[in-house]
Amino acid sequence: MKHYLSVYKKFVSTSISVETSFRTSFILLIIMDLFFFLSTVASVTFIYDHVSMIGPWQKDQLLFFLSFMLMIDNLHMMIFSQSFWEFSNHLKTGQLDYIILKPMSTIFSVFFRHFRASSLFNTPLFLGSLIYYGLKVDLAPTQWCLIPFLLILGLSLLVVIEFILSTSMFWLTDGIGINFLRMQMQQLARWPSFIYQGVIRKVLMTALPILLIGSAPVNFLFDSSHWPLLAGMILCLVVFSILLNFVWSRGLKRYDSASS
Amino acid sequence: MTEALERNIQKWWITIKVSWVKHTAYRMNFFLQMIGPALVFFFVKYNLWSSIYSADKSMIIKGFNFEQMINYHTWAFIVGMVAQGHGSWNLSDDIRMGRISSYLIYPFNFWEFHTASWLSFQCIQIGIASFTLVCVAAAGVLQLPSLEVMTMGVAYTLFISLFWFTMQYFTGVLAFWLEETWILRVMLNIITYFLSGAIIPLDLYPKWIVDILNYTPFPYLTYYPIKIFMGQGSHITQGFFIILFWTIVFAFLNHRIWKKGIRLYTAAGM
Repeated sequence: MKHYLSVYKKFVSTSISVETSFRTSFILLIIMDLFFFLSTVASVTFIYDHVSMIGPWQKDQLLFFLSFMLMIDNLHMMIFSQSFWEFSNHLKTGQLDYIILKPMSTIFSVFFRHFRASSLFNTPLFLGSLIYYGLKVDLAPTQWCLIPFLLILGLSLLVVIEFILSTSMFWLTDGIGINFLRMQMQQLARWPSFIYQGVIRKVLMTALPILLIGSAPVNFLFDSSHWPLLAGMILCLVVFSILLNFVWSRGLKRYDSASS
Repeated sequence: MTEALERNIQKWWITIKVSWVKHTAYRMNFFLQMIGPALVFFFVKYNLWSSIYSADKSMIIKGFNFEQMINYHTWAFIVGMVAQGHGSWNLSDDIRMGRISSYLIYPFNFWEFHTASWLSFQCIQIGIASFTLVCVAAAGVLQLPSLEVMTMGVAYTLFISLFWFTMQYFTGVLAFWLEETWILRVMLNIITYFLSGAIIPLDLYPKWIVDILNYTPFPYLTYYPIKIFMGQGSHITQGFFIILFWTIVFAFLNHRIWKKGIRLYTAAGM
């Protein structure tokens, strides 16, 4: 663990050095995240100017949910996002050879390699929004204490599902489309589960449990009787982690190294 | 003179055909990259509005009942696919990777090559949009407008797609100075989706925002074309001139940036 932490520290410092050497891109990334935050929150606010409820939730409840999801997005952008895009490139060019040769977990060296420091600058905004709407929905002290764990849990489930999805790139000539699929999955998860109905909802809550990422923790925070959703989320995380190890090792065996 | 024109048309035609093959070579990637996002975006909006209207089926929000709201978003899907589907990925990559060196010796300009490529992309998008339109009309989700309204809507949407191309081209040629132009493109998409009425109709926005937006090209990219298709066309002439103005501005800027940028070009990898 100590070894991995020291390696990750190096990953972060080299990523920051690379990113800050292209200052315009660095600043544009911060502005891009800012626009995304503002447009998402404003859209929901404009809808609530004309309706009092969406499903069972009032404005502050939905905006708390949205802030929770945007906080997960922010952490995802910071820690993982770039690595997914680099992975599809490395597979195509054969650069992956040098990464999987390193004496550490290949999942770690592939998906934790790139840290996006620019997202760190927007974290206070996302965190501020989460705290502001948390106060509006009157969270109790114990609920506040749970938020960091629930954020980590939500982020973990999201990335494990994305890791599995990305593994399919081993079987494709060009995996860039998978990254777009990943982004669409995030878009679906950014809304509470109650807006979806029927079979689609069941599928997105079980077989591909992306709706659990935000809906399970937030529903649990609002009403602890929703604990089965949270238990389901933890179960999904365990099952999908086992599945990831299996498909990842199959994928590595399938990898035929474009550079050799 | 005629012979030169014929030769030029031949070059355009062959480039369009080559680009068509390139676009359709990886069909799954094309679907996931070009169609998938618009489809999921529509799916989310459909579910969101279904959820909102499920509280009261007869509810009218700023003049929209449930059917009209779904009609609005279906047209947003179609308009978005035709008018704003194109991205200048290849263009900026050509500059960054040093691939434009070949264009400098080809008897075919860089802008001509990318415009021909855009035309082939548009042909594919129009085909997919037409197919989608037939499917949703057959499913009873959408009522097709009269031929006159349809013609006007299609012409207006195609005109917007030309503007969108010049704007995308603009972000692409900035690759002479920027390491990553995808950030600008994504930012442009986020701003356009929000300010053009692609996420929610502009009728739901505060009036003072809409009043300001009417002086920018944004509402004319999605909101007004949808209104034309829905038979409620207004601001058509104003929109035409605003888009024309911005198309000329971006075309001029693209020309100037290319001239300046090519002096900085170092032909990476040569």
